[in-house]
Amino acid sequence: MFDTILALWDKYYYVYLWGLWGTIWLSAASVAAASVVGTGLAFLRLSGIWAFDLLVRAYLGVLRGTPILLQLYFFWIFLPRISPIELSDTMCILTALIVNAAAYVSEVVRAGIQAVDIGQTEAARSLGMRPHNIMFRIVLPQAVKNILPALGNEYITMIKQTSLASVFFVPELMTSYRTVQSATFLALPSLIIAGLIYLVLTTILTKALDVFERRLKKSER
Amino acid sequence: MNVDYKSGKENVGGGSRGAKPPLTDVLIRVENLSKSFGKLKVLSGINEEVRCGEVVSIIGPSGGGKSTFLRCLNLLEQPTDGKVFFDGVNICDRKVDIVEHRRKIGMVFQQFNVFPHLTVTENITIAPTLEKKIPKAQAVERAHSLLWRVGLLDKKDEYPSRLSGGQKQRLAIVRALAMEPMAMLFDEPTSALDPEMVGEVLDVIRDLAKSGMTIVIVTHEMGFAREVSDRVLFMDGGVIREAGTPDEIFECAEDQRTVEFLSMVL
Repeated sequence: MFDTILALWDKYYYVYLWGLWGTIWLSAASVAAASVVGTGLAFLRLSGIWAFDLLVRAYLGVLRGTPILLQLYFFWIFLPRISPIELSDTMCILTALIVNAAAYVSEVVRAGIQAVDIGQTEAARSLGMRPHNIMFRIVLPQAVKNILPALGNEYITMIKQTSLASVFFVPELMTSYRTVQSATFLALPSLIIAGLIYLVLTTILTKALDVFERRLKKSER
Repeated sequence: MNVDYKSGKENVGGGSRGAKPPLTDVLIRVENLSKSFGKLKVLSGINEEVRCGEVVSIIGPSGGGKSTFLRCLNLLEQPTDGKVFFDGVNICDRKVDIVEHRRKIGMVFQQFNVFPHLTVTENITIAPTLEKKIPKAQAVERAHSLLWRVGLLDKKDEYPSRLSGGQKQRLAIVRALAMEPMAMLFDEPTSALDPEMVGEVLDVIRDLAKSGMTIVIVTHEMGFAREVSDRVLFMDGGVIREAGTPDEIFECAEDQRTVEFLSMVL
């Protein structure tokens, strides 16, 4: 078994590296975009305008209440129909991943902001600070310490979710596995290689987040 | 101690500080102030006024509406009904820029509410530099002189987590003073402090009172209330049951609830 895996890696490593690259950029793009969109959604919810609150709640309800695979199919079918330009499968899937992850990110951000003591806001208001200054100078800097660790976990989940893109043959690690498997019919070894690469990727990220979190704690004064 | 509004009005321009100015100008006037949280009526129809340079203590049992009343004075709590005039302006009026107005009223909280992510100096300078566009260097200089005044200058670059409760509260007081307010509101400023730290905070408030600052303070420190106040209000059940000079309240209260409360706490 071990020999087979090594031999397989030796012969097809470029397929996996190509897939790894796909996984990395899909993850990075969806993490970045979902962070921005999710933060925006959180602000909309906290804006105090009930129409926004209702809209975002509906969004969260749908996105968190349906399977992500269904959402990927939906965007894969639906987006090309309404898009004025031709969209690749990759683009449709990336959009779906972002839309899904944004829902979860927005909840993390909202909870982080709401966890900041209300007394901080009241003190800032009593000093005559404007709402945007209170948010960006007083509340958010404190909320970041609540948000970042939780967001790290969300990011790791997002990396693993990009594997669903293989259903649509979007280039990424699981697609590499399917490619190698169908070329060699060595299902288990080719799967184990993909699994090991995921493990390396998430382990590195987890460790990096640990270090980051410890630094954050240290700076907590 | 009834004040004639007319003579008060004619005596405008009473911004004179330093020695205690004559207590004539009405700075805060509350008319028929009511506040309900849902079905719970916390304040019912309060009429009261605070004159320039006056020190007013509010005493009374918990849940009597003292804090809510104080928080209505800078609209941290939106009154359900009634008017709050500050410096002649009805701040409940929707056309009034309440943010602008809050800059004229400093507030100190029971839980200090200092900003933990900012240094002691930054805690003081953030509002003046952001909201009043005071140059950084000037704001820092002023912050340091305020810190010196309350004996915290050696902590100027520390973060609040390195301060004791008493030091945090002194910081909170000078943070409010940095906006150069016309009045200061204190919401049980010593209730969250260890007993040995109460004195240092009361000293600061006492100095402030002597400097002619208009002060409204909710407190359970009866000795202090008696010592520094020009007037004492006893609140219970959402109304002011009795008001008068410290001697009038502490020596010869007439209201039954006031007498009961004072016999419990004194």
